[in-house]
Amino acid sequence: MTTQTTLPAKAGHDTATDSATKAHRMSLLNGLFELRAFIALAVLVVVFSLLSDSFLTVTNLITMTKHVAINAIIALGMLLVILKGGIDLSVGSVVGLSGVVAGELLQGLRLGFLDTIAYPPVWAVIVLCVAVGMLVGLVNGVLITRFRVAPFIATLGMLYVARGLALLISNGTTYPRLAGSPELGNTGFGFLGSGRPLGLPTSIWLMAILAAAVALVLIKSPFGRWLYATGGNDRAAELSGVPVRRVKTIVYVVAGGCAAVAGLIIASELTSAAPQAGETYELNAIAAVVIGGAALSGGRGTVRGTLVGAFVIGFLADGLVLLGVSTFWQILIKGAVIVLAVMLDQGQQRFQRRQGALASAAAATKTPSV
Amino acid sequence: MNPVLRACGVTKVYGGTHALKGVDFAIAAGRVTALFGENGAGKSTLMKILAGIEQPTTGHIELDGTTVRPRSAREAADQGISIIHQELSLCPNLSVQDNLFLAREIRTRGIVDRAAQREATLAVLRRLEEDLDPDRLVGDLRLGQQQIVEIARALLQNARVLIMDEPTSALTAPEVAVLFRIIRELTTSGVAVVYISHHLDEALEIADDVAVLRDGNLVAAGAASEVTLGWIVRHMVGRDPDALFPYRETIVGAPVLSADRVVVADPHNPHRLAVNQVSLTLHEGEIVGVYGLMGSGRTELLETLAGRITPAAGTITLDGSPLGDAGIRRRIAEGIALVPEDRQRDGLVQSMSVGQNLSLAGLSRFVRNLLVTRSAEREAVERTITEVTIKTSGATAAIGSLSGGNQQKVVIGKALLTRPRVLLLDEPSRGVDVGAKADIFELMAAQARRGLSVLFATSEAEEALHIPDRLLVLARGVVVGEYRRGQITREELMSLSDGRVAAPAAQREPAL
Amino acid sequence: MYSSIPRRQALAVVPLVSAALLLGACGSAGDGSTKNEGGKEAGGLIAIITPSADNPFFKAEADAAKAKAESLGYQTSVASHDDDPNKQSELIDTAISRKAKAIILDNAGADASIGPVRKAKDAGIPVFLIDREINATGIATAQIVSNNAQGAQLAAESFVQAMSGKGSYVELVGKESDTNAGVRSKGFTDVISQYPDMKLVAKESANWDQQEAFTKMETILQKNRNIQGVIAGNDTMALGAVAALKAAGLNGKVVVVGFDGSPDAIAAIKAGEMHATALQPAVLGAETAVEQADKFIKTGSTGAPEKQSIDCELVTKDNADQFGVFGRK
Repeated sequence: MTTQTTLPAKAGHDTATDSATKAHRMSLLNGLFELRAFIALAVLVVVFSLLSDSFLTVTNLITMTKHVAINAIIALGMLLVILKGGIDLSVGSVVGLSGVVAGELLQGLRLGFLDTIAYPPVWAVIVLCVAVGMLVGLVNGVLITRFRVAPFIATLGMLYVARGLALLISNGTTYPRLAGSPELGNTGFGFLGSGRPLGLPTSIWLMAILAAAVALVLIKSPFGRWLYATGGNDRAAELSGVPVRRVKTIVYVVAGGCAAVAGLIIASELTSAAPQAGETYELNAIAAVVIGGAALSGGRGTVRGTLVGAFVIGFLADGLVLLGVSTFWQILIKGAVIVLAVMLDQGQQRFQRRQGALASAAAATKTPSV
Repeated sequence: MNPVLRACGVTKVYGGTHALKGVDFAIAAGRVTALFGENGAGKSTLMKILAGIEQPTTGHIELDGTTVRPRSAREAADQGISIIHQELSLCPNLSVQDNLFLAREIRTRGIVDRAAQREATLAVLRRLEEDLDPDRLVGDLRLGQQQIVEIARALLQNARVLIMDEPTSALTAPEVAVLFRIIRELTTSGVAVVYISHHLDEALEIADDVAVLRDGNLVAAGAASEVTLGWIVRHMVGRDPDALFPYRETIVGAPVLSADRVVVADPHNPHRLAVNQVSLTLHEGEIVGVYGLMGSGRTELLETLAGRITPAAGTITLDGSPLGDAGIRRRIAEGIALVPEDRQRDGLVQSMSVGQNLSLAGLSRFVRNLLVTRSAEREAVERTITEVTIKTSGATAAIGSLSGGNQQKVVIGKALLTRPRVLLLDEPSRGVDVGAKADIFELMAAQARRGLSVLFATSEAEEALHIPDRLLVLARGVVVGEYRRGQITREELMSLSDGRVAAPAAQREPAL
Repeated sequence: MYSSIPRRQALAVVPLVSAALLLGACGSAGDGSTKNEGGKEAGGLIAIITPSADNPFFKAEADAAKAKAESLGYQTSVASHDDDPNKQSELIDTAISRKAKAIILDNAGADASIGPVRKAKDAGIPVFLIDREINATGIATAQIVSNNAQGAQLAAESFVQAMSGKGSYVELVGKESDTNAGVRSKGFTDVISQYPDMKLVAKESANWDQQEAFTKMETILQKNRNIQGVIAGNDTMALGAVAALKAAGLNGKVVVVGFDGSPDAIAAIKAGEMHATALQPAVLGAETAVEQADKFIKTGSTGAPEKQSIDCELVTKDNADQFGVFGRK
């Protein structure tokens, strides 16, 4: 064996036109992948419209959107947590807790030392309930950042704690008739669930406002950038001066607040609050975020995707009810859609990585060492 | 000669980094082939591909003339190719015996035959002249002993091709002697051995054939008897080493940052100090080097200055006022920026674009009315891309589409975007190709000319001797010497930094 | 059998309830031992085990049994098994080791409970089942359950009458894997199918859940606004339907009938939002069980057959004032 310099591997044979059409096809395919959640939603709408006359009507679309709104509002909070690379299993329990707190407050606070019952006005009830939700989130955040409990475990614990609190406060019973009464000055709670400002249900407005706010924060504010960086690589973010702990804590607080809003809407719609409300809602929210293309490992996901994810789940559920499909099938189909969406997502990422690697490999072998 | 194993036109791309660019490499039966190359030249990647741990992006591997595609280390091992990892791949919670037979348990009617395993374990340990209890937990062993266990495992697999990636890094001199005897025994019985080591003379001593990798290309190969150490170094570096390090006039200004008797506890070992009573002062316009091997405390020193680690004792002052317990964020605001050693782990956010990575640390500059002003950000990012000569299709390109060198420039650009007064760089040239290396050194010099204080840590002797105006030599957390440029020779530096100090095997070369 | 809480919900309260159990167990163990020495003749311990303490129905059941037993001079221990057969078995073991005189049990599964009940019997402790049956006879001393089929027919007859025997209606079914959901649904159908002008436009499961009933009802209303009646497998779902009808501006125009006789439903009936519900006399069942236990302890016989069913009572606006928590006032 003698000293020799190896030659670069054979250069690519692709002609310019070849690679141009290939690139075109690739970008087209990529675009389809990007839009998959929208496509799924479009397919759902078309299929259900064909199968049921009542699906594609304005009132039904509004009703379905109203149903979507609850999950979407929880999912927006969940999106932030998932962008951070965490998970929040406690939001379903916060939904129940928030409703129960509202119920307790609207029924009157017994002030032992004054021997009277105080009836806080509805706005105060709402503020307090959201604060309770945010407090649960804060506990999650502190457990995770300060005591280094894994998010799954910390929020699983809070799932039970918040549910237990809801049961303790309510003594296991449902608060009926939350409409309030004029003489006590606490009417108006029903507005959240059955109000229709400008012709659209309040919950839809809330969803739209929250979505716009979260999108603004994610896209335009430094916090959004910090969040994406923390989820992508928290060590690098920390070394870049990002207040990683604060970012991590805040997302749980927001998630708790969003869940509390959803809990208020539910309690308002039913004008009653059950401590069991919101069971397994955390899973629906996670599903919406994931269908929307977010990575559970963090750093990737959008508000738009999450909303579409929530719409896919909600329209699917309502559409199947309209068609009179059995409950067992409804559950099975929902599961299949979630798995399919995530499979597509994995497929897209593998596809992009593979294409990128091949392209750079070709470039490298064409131009030998520097 | 008849090659038992050969790599044909193998390329490997990680993200946008070309670790291998079409390598042809052959190993002969019964001979030791030593593979040389700088950090990041692609040695480990090539070995991982041969051992089935990684799959080539293009190209293929031939075993005895037939193409093989091992999909895993296990498959490769079944075909007779074993690897001893640079980073240990043992389960610390299992015993020596369990590790040796992991996934290859000796079974009698489906039941693990522990007696037979024990017998075989004792036999192979005897052969390695290592007196170890087969039932001891691997986690309780010294690093060197763990390395022996790793070697024993490869021996047990009756490999025809044995790849040893830095096998001696944690061994004592007598253990190295035993290892060399074993290698000779193996080659006599026809085993092909690939040997990789940073200790060039040691590797040349055991080798029959040599090959040199540089920037992902195999640039030279020959018989060990026909080459010299100088020949190897020339091919590793690829050019006259002096061309990398141009002479630079220095105008040293006022003192900026100083550390006074800083002590840092080792986060991994509470009985040890990572940094012990280190004092230093950085001046405007000055480049100061910290030379030290792995475990010398250089990384901990830089991270302490940057505010990531809180020192156990000592003070750090900027312009004469103590920084106290200010964290990373405050220190960035004060003008101290760090370029971390491991850019993948600590420097970059892979899910963000080139531009977003660049502006991450200096984002507060672009905030107006609580929101990020896109136009100002874009402008600053574009300027930085030009300034640090990042080769990219644009600010929105994925970070993974860049080569290692350009990724490193992004990390440096990110630090510069914070408008620092003190720039701390930890091994800035690690794992980047020679061209980018020169760019990075030029960039450091340019910043110093603009009046910045530059402190950089390195484990490459050539860099340490040529780049800094002033060099601190760090060994086991203590400054053992301070020199102006040209005051110390390579040999003095090597002996001073005590090359015999075992580098912890847990720290590894980035797989680029 | 009362089943407004799906099992998955019961799961969430496990830690809370176990904590409460621990506390409760400590407390009653203390006073149990002291009283046992003092008044051996006076009674002994009656163990009361129900599915969950956070559900008004089971709570009423447990409270009634406890009050009755104490008035007859027994000590009591109250615990819940959260529909977990394993936990139920442990609670029965505890009752055996504490040498209870009798066990009042609302069991955790018709098949899964046979073993534990036999275990108690073999230890010489009579078991009195309430609310839910087991699929075996000759093991429990008595099985006192409310008559679901009769209650369903009662509710359905009132429903048909209120709709004057014609019109479109929706049926909300309980959790489909729950046998009881099927029994009630069949009871409804048996009556309603006799009226050819009654038209079932949708039959949906709402999992015994209020919010789910609300959402599904809203969706069903999208398909068909012209609905005159809703009959639901329990009151919780009926109240969900009421909320949906209210949101659609149809409150008071649709006949809503539920099942269970929960206090919330009775309030809704009084308010004119619901037409009727079939009340399960939980209190009566529990009291009867304790009385028979007392008789059995004293005489060795209950004087009644093993299987006894207690009829449900129809609650409408006319008689709503006479009813309290799962029983007549």
